[in-house]
Amino acid sequence: MDPIIRVHDVSKSFRDNLSARKVKALESISLSAEKGEVYGFLGPNGAGKSTTIKLLLNLIRPDSGSVTIAGRSVEERELRRIVGFLPENPYFYEHLTAEELLWFGGQASGMKGSEIKERSMMLLEKTDLLDARKRAIRTYSKGMVQRAGLALALVHDPEVIILDEPMSGLDPFGRRMVSNLIIDMKKAGKTVFFSSHILGDIEKICDKVGIIAEGRLCLEDSLTNLLNYGATLEDIFFAEVEKISVKGN
Amino acid sequence: MKALFSLAAITFKEGIRSRTVYGILIFAIFLMFLNVMISGMMMQDVAKVAVDMALSSLNFVGLLLVFFAGVNLFSKDIERKTIYMVLARPISRSRYILGKFAGISAIIVFSLAILAIFESASIVIMKNGYPAQFLRFSWSALFFSFLLTLISLIVVLSTGFLFASFSSTSFITLVLSIVTYLIGSSANEVKALLEVPHDIGERTSPLLLYCVKAACYIFPNLSLFDIKTEAAHGLFVPLSYILSSIFYGILYSFVMLSLSCIIFKRREFP
Repeated sequence: MDPIIRVHDVSKSFRDNLSARKVKALESISLSAEKGEVYGFLGPNGAGKSTTIKLLLNLIRPDSGSVTIAGRSVEERELRRIVGFLPENPYFYEHLTAEELLWFGGQASGMKGSEIKERSMMLLEKTDLLDARKRAIRTYSKGMVQRAGLALALVHDPEVIILDEPMSGLDPFGRRMVSNLIIDMKKAGKTVFFSSHILGDIEKICDKVGIIAEGRLCLEDSLTNLLNYGATLEDIFFAEVEKISVKGN
Repeated sequence: MKALFSLAAITFKEGIRSRTVYGILIFAIFLMFLNVMISGMMMQDVAKVAVDMALSSLNFVGLLLVFFAGVNLFSKDIERKTIYMVLARPISRSRYILGKFAGISAIIVFSLAILAIFESASIVIMKNGYPAQFLRFSWSALFFSFLLTLISLIVVLSTGFLFASFSSTSFITLVLSIVTYLIGSSANEVKALLEVPHDIGERTSPLLLYCVKAACYIFPNLSLFDIKTEAAHGLFVPLSYILSSIFYGILYSFVMLSLSCIIFKRREFP
């Protein structure tokens, strides 16, 4: 079976504004996630996690290589009907309410009015925003904004959910809520691809793990295989990142 | 179309609820009272001063709306990365531009309609106070002047979109839009000032003349939309002039938006 998310031999560099020098962000990375899998994408700050995610959303384009979701190029606009996305530190129109935000998400994804209302209420309840749904987003706490973003990512019931640091800015209750949502999505057969720094969360909910450092994918395997030898995910993570750092130096 | 409409709708809601728009509208009410006060102090040409002030206020407040509410609403989307939540949907980048433009234009039309009502109210007050001074006054000339001011603001907004489509900060977009407005409003007059000495054999720099002529073609000719003098004196403005000015405005905005779409399609959002 073909993987639902496939990044093949992708390199990406950015031009530094001051020196006009090219800075390599990703170097020949390849990764894949199967349908129904929860993929944890791990890496230190600046490793290339967000760059990879932006490639999956066609917000940036690869210098070389290919990126596909469900066998289709990510450049296809219609593909985004089956993709939900939560950016890192999301920033939304601050004078809108969570209800209006979800209405937009549903409308833009081609949903019917009744369908949007039903999904919105369900998601607002799950994300504990039901009482705050008619308040402007600018009055929300950081955690509430993050939860509103998560509801927006899921409003059109996507097949593939891409979350960039979904746990950042959340308190332990918020983190548990996100973990439970991801587990629910997995149960519903959805594919979840998410980046995180929090190794404990990844260990709890992921089927497969990819570790990236300095723009290179150091390791990709199922969590069961990785933990088979008795080491913790934390040990493996540090060992892999250090290996790349030594090679780089 | 549904996606375009929903984007325009949230842009309108976001803009209309912002403090900038409220502030500008309160300022407009202040300008209305100022118009009544200043016109009332004039011993002669009360109608001319009242109409001139009403139209200038409308233009000034409209420009504040375009620069600080309109252009900002678009460029801040890119700067703050709010654009991610839109582009992650099945919305093409061209539709994003058009939806945003439609939403911001709606804010400008809505705000200008309110302003026009206030400014018209100030003229009604003055007209009732000094009926003899308003014998040549024409409501239709005032209305067409309002309309052309609105079109000129839409044109300025479309140039702002072009700049925002490639610039990385809202400040650069704002500065370029203001410069475009200044050049667009004066290039035709500067060209006329340079051509007159040239036509009677006086020496003018051909390079300067060439540059000014080029600016007239590249930048929007905003003086076309300025019929304040005609409206203030109650002079007749041919309908053909008004229609051709509107056509020019629509065509220019169309070109600006098409260029914005082309640039935006190629742009990356790291």
